Amino acid sequence: MPPFKDEHVLLIAPGSQMTLAQLGLPETFTPARFRFPTRMFPAEKKGEYEPYRVHERRQEVKVNNDTDAPKPDVEMKDAEPAAADGTTATETTVKTDENTQDNGDSTKTVEEVFYEEDPASDEGAIYPIENGRIVDWPCFFALLTHIHNTLSPPFHTPIMLIGQPVWSARDREAITQFVFEKFKAPAFSLMDSALAACYGYGTPTATVVDVGKGKVDVTAVTDFAVNEHGRGIALEGCGGDAMTDRLVELLGPKGFTREMCEQLKRSNITEILPPGTPLPGSSATARQGANPAAAASTGGSDGDESAPRGPGDGTQTGIEGDNGDEEEGVLDVAAIVSGNPTEYLANVEKEKTTTKKGAVDPKGARLPNSKKEKASFQFEEFVQLEGEKAAANGARQYIRHTRDIEVSVERFLLTSPRSKAGNRLTSGILEDIATQVHHTILAVPDATKRSELWDSLIIVGCGSKVKGFTQALLAVITQKFILSPSGTIFTSEIPSNFTTPLPTGANTPAPMGQPGPMYHPAAPGVNPLLVAATHNNPGMPGGMPGTPSMDPSMMSHHRSTGHSQTPTSVKTLKLPEYFPDFKDQGNSNAPGASSGGTPGAPGTSQGGHGMEEAVFLGAQMAAKVFFVIDQGLSKGYMSRVEYNESGPSAIHEYIL
Amino acid sequence: MNPSNPPQAAEYGGDEVSAIVLDPGYSTTRAGFAGEDAPKSLIPTYYGKYNADGQEKLVFGDDVFVTPRPGLSIHNPIGKDGIVEDWDMAERVWEHSFTSRLTGTKAGNPFQNGLNDVSPDELPTEMEVESEEKPLSDSPLLMTEPGWNPAKAREKTIEIAMEKWDTPAFYLARSGVLAAFASGKASALVIDIGASNLSVTPIHDGMILKRGVQHSPLGGEYISSQIRAIFKANTPQPITITPHYLISSKSAVEAGQPAQAKYKTFPADKAPDASYRALLEERTLSEFKECVVQVWPGPTRLSAPSATGVSNEDMARTTPGRPFEFPDGYNQVFGVDRFRAVESLFDAKAAIPDPDSSFPPPTPAQTIPELVKASLAGVDVDLRPHLLANVVVTGGSSLLYGFTDRLNHELMQMFPGPRVRVTAPGNTSERRFGSWIGGSILASLGTFHQMWISKKEYEEHGPNIVEKRCK
Repeated sequence: MPPFKDEHVLLIAPGSQMTLAQLGLPETFTPARFRFPTRMFPAEKKGEYEPYRVHERRQEVKVNNDTDAPKPDVEMKDAEPAAADGTTATETTVKTDENTQDNGDSTKTVEEVFYEEDPASDEGAIYPIENGRIVDWPCFFALLTHIHNTLSPPFHTPIMLIGQPVWSARDREAITQFVFEKFKAPAFSLMDSALAACYGYGTPTATVVDVGKGKVDVTAVTDFAVNEHGRGIALEGCGGDAMTDRLVELLGPKGFTREMCEQLKRSNITEILPPGTPLPGSSATARQGANPAAAASTGGSDGDESAPRGPGDGTQTGIEGDNGDEEEGVLDVAAIVSGNPTEYLANVEKEKTTTKKGAVDPKGARLPNSKKEKASFQFEEFVQLEGEKAAANGARQYIRHTRDIEVSVERFLLTSPRSKAGNRLTSGILEDIATQVHHTILAVPDATKRSELWDSLIIVGCGSKVKGFTQALLAVITQKFILSPSGTIFTSEIPSNFTTPLPTGANTPAPMGQPGPMYHPAAPGVNPLLVAATHNNPGMPGGMPGTPSMDPSMMSHHRSTGHSQTPTSVKTLKLPEYFPDFKDQGNSNAPGASSGGTPGAPGTSQGGHGMEEAVFLGAQMAAKVFFVIDQGLSKGYMSRVEYNESGPSAIHEYIL
Repeated sequence: MNPSNPPQAAEYGGDEVSAIVLDPGYSTTRAGFAGEDAPKSLIPTYYGKYNADGQEKLVFGDDVFVTPRPGLSIHNPIGKDGIVEDWDMAERVWEHSFTSRLTGTKAGNPFQNGLNDVSPDELPTEMEVESEEKPLSDSPLLMTEPGWNPAKAREKTIEIAMEKWDTPAFYLARSGVLAAFASGKASALVIDIGASNLSVTPIHDGMILKRGVQHSPLGGEYISSQIRAIFKANTPQPITITPHYLISSKSAVEAGQPAQAKYKTFPADKAPDASYRALLEERTLSEFKECVVQVWPGPTRLSAPSATGVSNEDMARTTPGRPFEFPDGYNQVFGVDRFRAVESLFDAKAAIPDPDSSFPPPTPAQTIPELVKASLAGVDVDLRPHLLANVVVTGGSSLLYGFTDRLNHELMQMFPGPRVRVTAPGNTSERRFGSWIGGSILASLGTFHQMWISKKEYEEHGPNIVEKRCK
């Protein structure tokens, strides 16, 4: 088999909300070049799927007989350059009216059927992945096919797929089979998302907290091996949606829609304050989490006036009396091109100048966000263009409306427990996640690694993009689990010149296989080079755990018990400096990221994706190592030959 | 063979269908594919039950440790002696253990859904089209059982596997035998300390010697009850364990000072059941066992005077203590007490009396040395030296610090003549999952294929076939 090349590697990282994909590994690794919303629409034919919602529209048009091409087609051509929003008629049926034909006259009536893709609609969409689980296999496969077709890789393209932790062994086999049979891939690698995050951070040992849309995964990775036992898989009701739900619960009575809450969550005025921080405006004793109901009602009393009206309303007056509404940012080029451009632009300009005023509360302008009782964010929405301009060529067009909405302290309460929490007794999602982290790390059999795991937390996933999430999570862990110094002062970890005994009862004469990080039995596929490069442990001298221990003198220097309690500290890891593109933690308020209207066709990579996508960075690194550098030495991928020999179940030998 | 290289598929006898190995225990249930080195799925055998929206809901898996729910109560389908009591729930728990991570829930076959109907010619592989929705219809199943499992329970097990799960082939193996296999021995004396039981099983040529099987309830839970007794008698104040879910935040206190934590309160109708609290206390206790508890290394008992004339207990007092912090922030250094918690596994007289404990004070016959003695007394004299030279230690509670040293001393004192050799894997997971690993090895052997009880045979002979085939 010829060697794989950088530019041929296809990476796909499916998520419940967004599927990241990229063909080729760039010189320096960047955030994913393509993002596809993880959804498909049922096509007309049963069992087939379309990437966009397709509208069917019939229209009667009178055209001149002597013109060769019907006029609407010309307009179509105009609209096509604007394919950024996918407004494309795919088919035109011409039905000729026989009667008018007889006249010999120059006009005839034509009924046309337009099929147009509506990129902003998610009506009727099927989401094949829910909480990481693949719930609709045909749809999921159709999505993979769509991605594959869009990127259209050359034939000799190895594929790396980032697997969700929740996928069962059978799921993985099914995907393997699909990739080999359908894409005819020469090589396929299925990598666990938690492990990919570790590759991204360049660490062999870490606790990965992946905050997704509807779920959270907590994984302890030791020496590049995922600890399956005690792993927190797809904790439901802990992801980004749970935070939005809470906002809807708090703000819904004030007229906020879910889309508003979603954008509020993404805006930079929303922040999770560490537990115990007093909310601005409320009395210092009211604490977040402790008394959410009271805090919420504080906001409620003065928030009535600022309650937004329904979307599309256009004008909105805040309590300070600023006319904060603007209408700008013409999205749809087609609207200008096919409509009456000059008139349209002039209108927009006029509206802008008349309405634009200072939108900032002068009093609170200097305070940090967390001290301000009220703040406003810019709400963007797409409103369908109405009137004759829109009807001119029939294609749906959207215009982006922006307006400021003011919110009170509710914006700090998004992780507080929901009042209708149903069947949970915990106080909010942060506590759930913290408890799971504790459980997961405690379940790691190699107790000497636990302290390191606590000190190397990796928080990824778009749900963690909310400002203050990481700090608040660390604060919750600290106040619930960190051991007091008095309890641990005697037990500082053993001096480093002693070898680390395995956790408990390891001092037996049993012969051991070669221990040490290089040959971790649970991770046959780990690339030893990578381990060696990233491992800073001195490495256990061979045979140490098997040293004869019947000798009572052993007692003299092994520590009096197996190990000491953890955690004495908790820290997050820093992303390596050398990938500047991943540095900035995006806090974009781009509506495109929300579930409602993704205007960008795949290919429009929106800015502001940072460290929460370290998984994708890790995938690129791993792909580089497995496919290009090692060329299969590290058993990082399964080749077509092996698939033909052993079938899909052999993927388990290569799963990372 | 280098353990870091998984065996090639060809060594499995070219078999592509991987069997599932299910090792149900009292505290955890292990499941995974044969041929792998650790079970992929490890779930607590405990399950939770609560009412929500007027419906009874069940919680399986690790979630019971993480999320407290209103009125949650904890149950275990397996009785204290390791024999299944509640078959319906045992079936559900076991099913969860392999559907959650291995086979997937009953999602149906992904290949018979719409996508592949569109272009069947593009998928040349042969897929069995099955309408069955039973979870194991394409995987053979190897299950383990304790050596004292009654015939009724064995028949019930194969019935569930064949009829409820629709497995094409089944085998039931003794966990002791499998633990010996995991250590690479066909003949061994297996000492297995689990959560609820302590058992000694003599194995000869891969066959269990039934008359020599001994077991007693001195397992991990018994040790926990001893630790609780220590906590109760603790000075300066008795220690109560408050699990994490009842604490909203704690603050650092000096060793031995009363805890200063903010507690959570739940309304009476929402508070989880006492059994939930007991489960989470058990979790703190297992952390305590890992970090603090230690077996007196011997060679003589803790109560006996040592060679120098100073009593061993005084010796133990001079060793530095081990600190432990409880979830509410209370912390203390534990001195000689940490040796006393497990001493009664070897010396019944050393048991800490606790009238409230659900465990009666142990009798001398229940201790490890006596069980070994009784077990050997039940086997042929000629086999005894061979068994003593192949003592295999397995089970999670055997990971207690210093356990194997002490066991070695005890056995050497008891049997001074023959050569005693204790084998215990140093790797934590090999010790905890000894019988699962043995099952994984067994089910992946090519020669094992003739041992499976096929569905056809089951239909022909009925559940009683398990008595004939799985000796």
